[in-house]
Amino acid sequence: MSSYADEDPGSFPRGFGYGPDENDTDIQAVATEQKPRILLMGLPRSGKSSIQKVVFHKVSPNETLFLESTNKIVKEDISNSSFVQFQIWDLPGQFNPMDANFDPENIFGGCGAIIFVIDAQDEYMNALTKLHTTVAKAFKINPDIKFEVFIHKVDGLSDDHKIEAQRDIHQRASDNLTDEGLENLRLRYFFYLTSIYDHSIFEAFSKVVQKLIPQLSVLENLLNILTTHSGIEKAFLFDVVSKIYIATDISPVDMQSYELCCDMIDVVNDVSYIYGTKEDGAFDSQSASTIKLNNGTILYLREVNRYLALVCILREDSFDKQGVIDYNFLCFRQAIHEVFEVRQRGQLVTSGEFNQPNGIIK
Amino acid sequence: MNAIIALCHFCEGHGPQVMFCTQPTHPKEQTELSHEEASALLSNRVRSPSGDSPVSSKSEHTCEGCYSVKTGFVSHDNDAPISYISSKYPNPTQPEIYSLVRNACLRSLSGEVCPGNEGAIFFGNDQQGHVLSYTFQLKDNLARGFQRKYSIIVMMMDKIYLLNSWPFLVPHLKLLIEHLQGKAGKVYESEQSKCPQRAVRLKSSMAGNFLQQRGGNNPARSITELTKDKNIFKILHVAFVWILKACSNRITETLLEGPPTEDSIIDMEKQEETEEGFIKLFTKPANEVSDGDTTPSAEEKEIADIDTPPSELDSIHNLRLLLKVLGESNFHLLTHHVVIGNQVIIRGSYKETIKLILHALMMLVPKGCCRPILHSNDYQESFRCNFLGLTADSSLPSHILSSEMFVLLVEMHLKDENDKPLNDNDFDKFEYSMASPTRLLDKAPTVLQKIEHALKNERFSNGVMEQCLICLKEEWMNKVKVLYKFTKAGGSISEVDTQNLLHVVEAKAEDKPLLQFWTSGLSVSYRNHILTTSKAQH
Repeated sequence: MSSYADEDPGSFPRGFGYGPDENDTDIQAVATEQKPRILLMGLPRSGKSSIQKVVFHKVSPNETLFLESTNKIVKEDISNSSFVQFQIWDLPGQFNPMDANFDPENIFGGCGAIIFVIDAQDEYMNALTKLHTTVAKAFKINPDIKFEVFIHKVDGLSDDHKIEAQRDIHQRASDNLTDEGLENLRLRYFFYLTSIYDHSIFEAFSKVVQKLIPQLSVLENLLNILTTHSGIEKAFLFDVVSKIYIATDISPVDMQSYELCCDMIDVVNDVSYIYGTKEDGAFDSQSASTIKLNNGTILYLREVNRYLALVCILREDSFDKQGVIDYNFLCFRQAIHEVFEVRQRGQLVTSGEFNQPNGIIK
Repeated sequence: MNAIIALCHFCEGHGPQVMFCTQPTHPKEQTELSHEEASALLSNRVRSPSGDSPVSSKSEHTCEGCYSVKTGFVSHDNDAPISYISSKYPNPTQPEIYSLVRNACLRSLSGEVCPGNEGAIFFGNDQQGHVLSYTFQLKDNLARGFQRKYSIIVMMMDKIYLLNSWPFLVPHLKLLIEHLQGKAGKVYESEQSKCPQRAVRLKSSMAGNFLQQRGGNNPARSITELTKDKNIFKILHVAFVWILKACSNRITETLLEGPPTEDSIIDMEKQEETEEGFIKLFTKPANEVSDGDTTPSAEEKEIADIDTPPSELDSIHNLRLLLKVLGESNFHLLTHHVVIGNQVIIRGSYKETIKLILHALMMLVPKGCCRPILHSNDYQESFRCNFLGLTADSSLPSHILSSEMFVLLVEMHLKDENDKPLNDNDFDKFEYSMASPTRLLDKAPTVLQKIEHALKNERFSNGVMEQCLICLKEEWMNKVKVLYKFTKAGGSISEVDTQNLLHVVEAKAEDKPLLQFWTSGLSVSYRNHILTTSKAQH
């Protein structure tokens, strides 16, 4: 990754807004203009508003059956409640990217990623047509934009169906691009199978958000170092409020472990709210929790700051040396603070030259 | 009102759609629509309006939810020749209007944010028109979120007018919307009690019956179905037409040229009092008093004539003619009597000529001072009128010329009995003799001198002369006002003070009778104003 201060503001706005968690006001001030923007698009009734409600408003999936249709662009600022800073724009399904009344230049111009939601339970040919026009238009306006295709509502499909649907949609979307002479765009398409009834939507959203975080490779590197040196099987860096993980180590993510970690955050959060003394819950940088599972696995949660939590899965025997793990964690936390401080000071940081966190004990 | 009212709908399938437009059509743009023409126009309109924007092609395949009326409705307003046409699209001969309405619809439903989900907002600019948009929801048992979004937009190019109509439009739109919501609410309740949709939806989602639950097979229902009222669009049409008409009656635009003159206030008061019926003095056509004994046919003729006084410009023309015919000294004598309020009686056999002369003379004094009886068979007392036209054979009571002080009698005789006047204003065919028991002051009032001066100036056109008269009258009316205020102010008024005041307003001794007379011409509102303020001071 090159120095992100030089990045094109279209894709990686400079004011990414990662500041120390203590001064909220500063975050908001920095964040106003240049937050990366994620657009939710797709045909009417494909589930855009539902995704937004479930992921960011903790609405129960069943309640989404009663949502009204969205008639105007709903803009949501995620920066206020969470460490992760971006804007979600929920566009009405009837939105036509060609319609000059909506000012597509403005909409696509400052946009980091487009999430295009396709209803897998419905006839998706129309959706693909719309995807194609949207992509063509958006690419013309903002060539740095990322396209994420959510093949949504897969909870109603069998596993075979899911795979078939994904393959088919992928094939057709690519064909469309080839017809148009936009083959190079094919590499920018990413497909996810999602459903609001399980954690797949959180996972997919995590991956979308991760791409918008310029410090991602540094964070991943840090997590790799931490896991290898502390005997941790899997580690996630979570945004506590949305349960999106903004980074994980290099080992593959499997759905069950991600779900476990999500649930753990819920447990810790709820307990904090019930027994916490502070108004806004007792969730602070000192919070920590350990859950032992009967299969010899341990879930270990540590707060990095008010919005970020590290959740690890490790074998019970690795946990014997808890002191070492805790110490390594402190180093890890220190390093993360440094990462964001660097941004604060406005210095140029490149991942290659970045000071490797010292003092990790083997 | 030059506005378009439209009902818009946020359609599940097609986004914001214009459903129903009501638009006034003036006969200037289109000659009075006969029934066939109107229906032809309407059938025209059913077709999608020309326009090459991608949206219009989309609106071809409208669903049940966007559908309103096949043809539409027309209402003719015979009082003001305006036809109100309601149909799905505005006039297809003006594609630019369609795009404006369509744009406003889009903004109203998809662009602008209304605090709360329901209520009126205003947006727009001079190019795209100014729009008052009232967004609201109707309950629909089968819709997502159990409700559907609508808006009524009122679009005009005149921002000031629209904003000034806000206090009228918003409550009436609200009434209409509440009516719709009431109907839809009842339908919703009854459907809900038969088949609670919430449970149905939850159940179908639990059962994994997704494809059935999907919206594909329940098309959007029309507003007719939502309200269970077949006549819903007729109601909307009538309501929109009424709003358009009532709104235009509410505010009429007048070009305001400076503050109103005392004359125009008097005119307004005359109108108002006619409606209220308070002051007989103004309302009663002057000659009704005298015409009691004329034959009915003559009376009818009278009434027909009285309603059309000569225009101001004609009167000024006549005034100048009179000056020529009478000669300066006689004219001076006549007008001098007029401006200080002496009764002027013209006796002669040509009643139309007399009327023209009297009208011309009335130009010289403020309207409030004119109490004319243009035609009468016998003498009327001077407190009744100061301008009196008499028939040639009428006789004056003997006391008038002997004892009554302030009167001028003008006798008109034809110079040559064979040379009949062809036009009403052939003043020179007559011989005039004037008689008055009064001797006037040697010097005429200043205002009369100025008027005469101006009349003699041939370079002044009649239009300029008219303005000149207005100015002079207004100037002296203002002096009258000052004096009136002074006299009503209460307290002891010494002679010296009065002199001083007259000096200040540049009034000389010869102006005093005029000032006194013109006081009677002050408008009622001004008098009341002075009286209440002077009372308040004590």
